[in-house]
Amino acid sequence: MKLLIVEDEIKTGDYLRQGLVESGFVVDLARTGLDGRHLALTELYDLVILDVMLPDVDGWRILQALREAKLCTPVLFLTARDSVEDRVKGLELGADDYLIKPFAFSELLARVRTLLRRGATPVFSDQLQIADLVLDIPRRQARRKEMRINLTNKEFALLELLVRRQGEVLPRSLIASQVWDMNFDSDTNVIDVAIRRLRAKIDEAFEPKLIHTVRGMGYILDIRGDIS
Amino acid sequence: MAHRPASLALRLTLSIGAVITVVLLTFGWMVERSISDHFAQQDVDELNAVVQALQRSLSEYPMDEEPAALRRRLAEAVSGHHDAEYRISDERGAVIYATPGSALDGFSRLPPSGYKIDLDSVRIWKDNGRMYRGAVVWLFPHVASTNTRWTLAVATGIDFHLRYLESFRNYLRIIMLAAVFIAVFSIWVAVYQGHAPIRRISREIERIKSDQLYIRLAPDAVPAELTELAVSFNDMLDRIESGFRRLSNFSADIAHEMRTPITNLMTQTEVALSQVRSVEQYREVLYSNLEEYERMAKMVSDMLFLAQADNKLLKPEIVSIDLAAEVLGLFDYFEAWAEERAVALVLEGSDVCVQGDRLMIRRALSNLLSNAIRHTPKNGDVRVSISSIDDTGVLRVENPASAIRTEHLPHLFDRFYRPDISRQRGEDGAGLGLAIVKSIIEAHGGSISASSTTDLIVFEMILPS
Repeated sequence: MKLLIVEDEIKTGDYLRQGLVESGFVVDLARTGLDGRHLALTELYDLVILDVMLPDVDGWRILQALREAKLCTPVLFLTARDSVEDRVKGLELGADDYLIKPFAFSELLARVRTLLRRGATPVFSDQLQIADLVLDIPRRQARRKEMRINLTNKEFALLELLVRRQGEVLPRSLIASQVWDMNFDSDTNVIDVAIRRLRAKIDEAFEPKLIHTVRGMGYILDIRGDIS
Repeated sequence: MAHRPASLALRLTLSIGAVITVVLLTFGWMVERSISDHFAQQDVDELNAVVQALQRSLSEYPMDEEPAALRRRLAEAVSGHHDAEYRISDERGAVIYATPGSALDGFSRLPPSGYKIDLDSVRIWKDNGRMYRGAVVWLFPHVASTNTRWTLAVATGIDFHLRYLESFRNYLRIIMLAAVFIAVFSIWVAVYQGHAPIRRISREIERIKSDQLYIRLAPDAVPAELTELAVSFNDMLDRIESGFRRLSNFSADIAHEMRTPITNLMTQTEVALSQVRSVEQYREVLYSNLEEYERMAKMVSDMLFLAQADNKLLKPEIVSIDLAAEVLGLFDYFEAWAEERAVALVLEGSDVCVQGDRLMIRRALSNLLSNAIRHTPKNGDVRVSISSIDDTGVLRVENPASAIRTEHLPHLFDRFYRPDISRQRGEDGAGLGLAIVKSIIEAHGGSISASSTTDLIVFEMILPS
């Protein structure tokens, strides 16, 4: 997967690139709007991460150029201003998602993966499986080692999200938004409590442990237990 | 360029000056008219006296008198009326007598107006540079004669009267001009003096600098007309002062709230770097930093939200929202957390829809609910009731809590306000939750208030439906 980052802030650009490269993406970094526009129009990318505030050619113009060239590469824009106008403008110009600075890298990564997945044809299967955990989607039932686990509706939705995106760190805000449709930060530890309860049902009596906390970032469902 | 209204002094001076001028002109015209009427009446009386004298003189004597004797008698009949000139002609138009040097030939051809002269029958004309007022009347040559009438044209010079009137008119003009000037000047002085309180207020206002917002105008010390201005100016100062104080408190709070995490970060990082440590320990420091950063990021975004609200930049995308459905969705979200704290969530009330931005209303409700759950002791209920009053939807959130002293109630929605000073930050968020609720509700044109009893605290928000 090849990504383009257009970001004039040196440190931000460097760390975004490093983080994304270490997450397994091929990343090009453009430090000016001109370079960014050139690259976006000449190379093929799976996704473009666009800073809106650029000194020369701003993010909107790059986005416009991209859409005028009939390229439908997904675009995620970064904005420092939490204004409705910015959001509306970006989405009207054909951006796919946005993040407001300051944002957590785990949040960015999760959004990037969501956008990349959107293009792929979704696999509709009735069953999801990881290790000995099996989810029966139509009946909304979970089994582990052939034992039926009783889950509430929301617990099942949470588990389904974790399983579908296994191996990915899911930030709390993303979980809240996907499972409960709460699209804002809450200053409570609601998600932690929900995960704790799910864990008690899924992991307590079983090995290997599947749900892991990634400190400061979120939660991951994985067979490997080596993520702290 | 916008047209600037004329100055108050000019407006007042011009309008009052115009009124005074009109009054004076009318008065002058009336005085002049009455004097001139009086003169006319005097002339008419004089002419009538001449007519009577002539008539008397004619009727006392025989009709077969010598024409020369008749002329002499007629000339003498009118004594004491030096200015009077007259001309008598018989029924055939032949002149019987005419005052020597008089020029009444043309005038006497006019038809006689009767036997007596009045104001309507006199005429004025000019002859040889002199002005006359005169009339033509019938005269009976004998007492007995009723079918013979002579014609008498009689006139008196009125130059003397006219000259007097002319000089009176000039005199009047000068007096009026002077009066108008004096009046206008006095008005201008009075108006200027009258504006002195305004200038004084303006000087007082000038003294008020941003660090002296406590200064107020004294409404009793200004004229009654300006009391309202002084009061509303004071009200404006109140609003500015409280906004200013809130703003400067807010900045101070931000600095304070930022100082704590930054101190933590700096100390932690410095201490970590002061010795060689294991990878595990470095990792621990980074994690701890990350948590601190996250908290700061959340605080910054909350503050940005509030700043937007302050600048009226929150633009709710209005849709119809079913309050009960929203609350149930949030109950679903908070359920596990509340259960863990042994707090029950209860919803009461009817289906009520309000107009609002779904995301913002959800955020406000979420903050209210999480605040309530957090402050409810074990085994307590958080009770949400929904009702509609008139055209509004009313949502009440009540939870058991130790009585909040009433002085805290209005401040619960202030930024960074924590009634319990000992409460540690972190567990409680940044203390911006309720401030955000208030901003959101107000951006929707609603209102929110808090009240408390001995063991309950109630938040009531009202939204247009």
